[in-house]
Amino acid sequence: MPCINAKQRRSSCRWVLILACATMLITGSLFIASTASAANILKMGLLQEPKTLNVWRASDRWSRKVVGLMYQPLYVRDPETLKLIPWLAAEPPQFDEKTLCYTVKIRPAKWSDGTELTSEDVAFTARFINEFKVPRYRSKWNFVKKIETPDKHTVKFYLKEPKAIFVSRSLTTPIVQKKEWTKLAEEARKTKKPLKRLLNEKIKRPVSSGPFVLKEWRQGTFLYLQKNKYFFGTGKKIQGRLLGPYIDGVIFKIYGTSDASILSLKKGSIDMFWWGIQPGYIEDLRANPDIELFQNEKSALYYMGFNVRKAPFKDVNLRRAVATLVDEDFIIKRILQGYGIRMYSIVPPGNAFWYCPDVPRYGEGLDREARIKKAFGILRDAGYTWEVPPVDESGKVVNGEGIKLPDGKPMEKFTILTPPADYDPHRAMCGMMMQEWLRMLGVPAYSKPMAFGALLQQVKVRHDFDSFILGYGSLSLDPDYLRNFFISTNDKKRGWNMSGYNNPHFDKIANESASAMNRDKRRSLIWEMQKIIIRDVPYIPLYDPKLIEAVRKGRFTGWVQMLGGVGNLWSFCQLKPM
Amino acid sequence: MELRRYIARRMIQVIIIFFVILTVLFLLFRWAPGDPVSMMVDPDMTQEDAEILIVQLGLDQPIGVQYFIYIKNFFTGHFGFSFHYGEPVVDIIWNRLPNTILLFTTSIILSAFVGVFLGKIASWHKGKKTDSLMTIGALVTHTLFLPWLALILIWVFGYKFGWFPINGMISEEVWLDPEAGFIARAIDVMYHMVLPLFTLFLIHFGAYLLIMRSSMLETLKEDYILTARAKGLEEKVIRDHHAAPNAALPVVTSVGLSLAFSINGGALTETVFTWPGIGRELVSSVSQNDYPLALACFLMIAGVVLVSNLVVDVLYAYLDPRIRY
Repeated sequence: MPCINAKQRRSSCRWVLILACATMLITGSLFIASTASAANILKMGLLQEPKTLNVWRASDRWSRKVVGLMYQPLYVRDPETLKLIPWLAAEPPQFDEKTLCYTVKIRPAKWSDGTELTSEDVAFTARFINEFKVPRYRSKWNFVKKIETPDKHTVKFYLKEPKAIFVSRSLTTPIVQKKEWTKLAEEARKTKKPLKRLLNEKIKRPVSSGPFVLKEWRQGTFLYLQKNKYFFGTGKKIQGRLLGPYIDGVIFKIYGTSDASILSLKKGSIDMFWWGIQPGYIEDLRANPDIELFQNEKSALYYMGFNVRKAPFKDVNLRRAVATLVDEDFIIKRILQGYGIRMYSIVPPGNAFWYCPDVPRYGEGLDREARIKKAFGILRDAGYTWEVPPVDESGKVVNGEGIKLPDGKPMEKFTILTPPADYDPHRAMCGMMMQEWLRMLGVPAYSKPMAFGALLQQVKVRHDFDSFILGYGSLSLDPDYLRNFFISTNDKKRGWNMSGYNNPHFDKIANESASAMNRDKRRSLIWEMQKIIIRDVPYIPLYDPKLIEAVRKGRFTGWVQMLGGVGNLWSFCQLKPM
Repeated sequence: MELRRYIARRMIQVIIIFFVILTVLFLLFRWAPGDPVSMMVDPDMTQEDAEILIVQLGLDQPIGVQYFIYIKNFFTGHFGFSFHYGEPVVDIIWNRLPNTILLFTTSIILSAFVGVFLGKIASWHKGKKTDSLMTIGALVTHTLFLPWLALILIWVFGYKFGWFPINGMISEEVWLDPEAGFIARAIDVMYHMVLPLFTLFLIHFGAYLLIMRSSMLETLKEDYILTARAKGLEEKVIRDHHAAPNAALPVVTSVGLSLAFSINGGALTETVFTWPGIGRELVSSVSQNDYPLALACFLMIAGVVLVSNLVVDVLYAYLDPRIRY
């Protein structure tokens, strides 16, 4: 059988090769040429695409990162002190205790369309939220009775009752343009579900007041924010920082995986990957001379929660014994590879003003054997018995078996629900370790990773669980979440009191803290709340991971480090091309 | 007349099956574990906020009511709004679909052509080194784990050599350049397609090669091939003009079905290469309990598969009058 004509085959191969090389060269040179023209544009890698630029709908972190650079609030946090400082506002708010009125002066500012930003816009934003009951913002404004705008730079907010969160939560709400949203609101009012209409509004050209405005969004690929020439902060010094922006814009590129984004960072296709770097990548990046790593604390809380509505965790002694068993140093050193902070309280230590250092510290400084002995002691004193006690008569630690509740019934096996390892390997691993430590004590614990959505449903909606490991990657700096998490009125379907914790004394202090207008008085209440919670242990705080971020060296300078990382508003306003 | 009745009957069957699929999918999403609202709230939001969201998403209604509303909207071409994007799901699908079709259709056609060509050569050299090499090569590449292969290719050609982009479909520099015309943009897309296309090609061409090879070996045993040889035709003519066109029929059927399925994209390929297609959207919508978007994506796939099967059945019935089910 004759072969194919070898000459012909060689010729075809040659042509295919030449064509492929030509395409590569043309496109490659195009790519390189155009990259050079974008020297003053910061390129950020995002793990997922922002879902929307509608400020009222934005609920995913990616949308909120981008929206946060466009829509601005009256007050923001100082990067060093974390205190609220005037941003769109010209000065700190004045509070009149008699009338419960906050007066806010607004600095001269313009919208990105060149029109003036006035007190009318601020009042409109608050009224809009209250009229349409916009989720996420509604609860921050529904206690405002009346809003007045005596002049175009002054707004007066009259509260129905004292509310401690007004400055930290309400006045940090992004302000929208009255002109843009009046039209949309009118159209929405004509529909059966006005809020739905507003939330589903696709905002193609957002009018905003921040340092950047939308230039182009190619969905699925990139989003380009351009410098806002009307930004009120340009050339001004706020908190001693001279603001730009000094860069022409920011391009957000979408990456499906951390691997791809880190390779892109190393290759120079992006200047920063706007997401925490997992410990596994850190050494490789540290060895790269073109990469700079930043390490900052997060306002995060990862914890183990118990269902205190039912046995076995109805018993505070068992919860305290579990808290004693948790080897947090092991979690931080081995699971987080050193990139974490030990947590003693529900408030992260980075939130220095509200963090209470004086809470019970279970098992601190003890080795594993001592922990088991201490936990055994707590349970034995509470009436628990064992078929084989975890500490024998000679005081030696052995594997405990057949634990029985104080009423003599055997403890039934229970589950520790965790997210799956592909969602969060740290929490999944913590679940496994908890299972092992509890089994040493003879407690029949089973770690059960499950899909994140299903886990939330089980814990938050159905309350059908024994214990779980969850976390919040970005807690607000205002500690009002303490009240939300543990007040008994929130023990309901989809309520934040997932543990079902019920303590009238705590409720009383929590309610007092919500209306304490004096900051120091509120702090003492918040500290007291932390002490109660750690004493009653509905949650065991496990760790607060450190945030490691990576940027390219030699492109931009001026990254501002603060709690929550360098990807913050201050950095974007101060970065300068090198 | 009988053929028309057959087509009508098949169409009714397809419509019924489609609605059965729609109903099953609708119920599956509602009953599956996971709560879309819990994924959307954070500690800044209250339980009342969550309740408001539930009402806005229409999840406060009993499942039966939600189903009838969905069916009613379905007949007006309205598939609802995505829970997360807040956009009509039809718009999202139309935005992503062309990207998926571009990548996967190209890869299937390219793989099929190369597979047929190499399969033909392999069968012609049956038992020789060329055949063994090609068959083993096809088996190896076809059984490679796609994400692994993709990551290796990205690392080698995207990062180490820097020849190709690591991910995405377009370069922002080209698309933001007002002077870049259609050709520059088309080249840019092609440039970004190289790695995902090569990955898909490596995974798929082997299947076509093997189908073609075995089909060709069968064909070469046919009497008309013997006749052709007896007529004194050149071997190349016998292979390319007599054997290959007949042997390629199973490949054509396979390509046809693959093209129909290509609209579902490839979740893995699209995720690894961040290709903005339907596959990536499907995975994301399912993981985030975005029912309307996930349901619409699955229905689109079901619809295309049902219609392609219908077309194939009708064509068979037309070509072979004996076929009536």
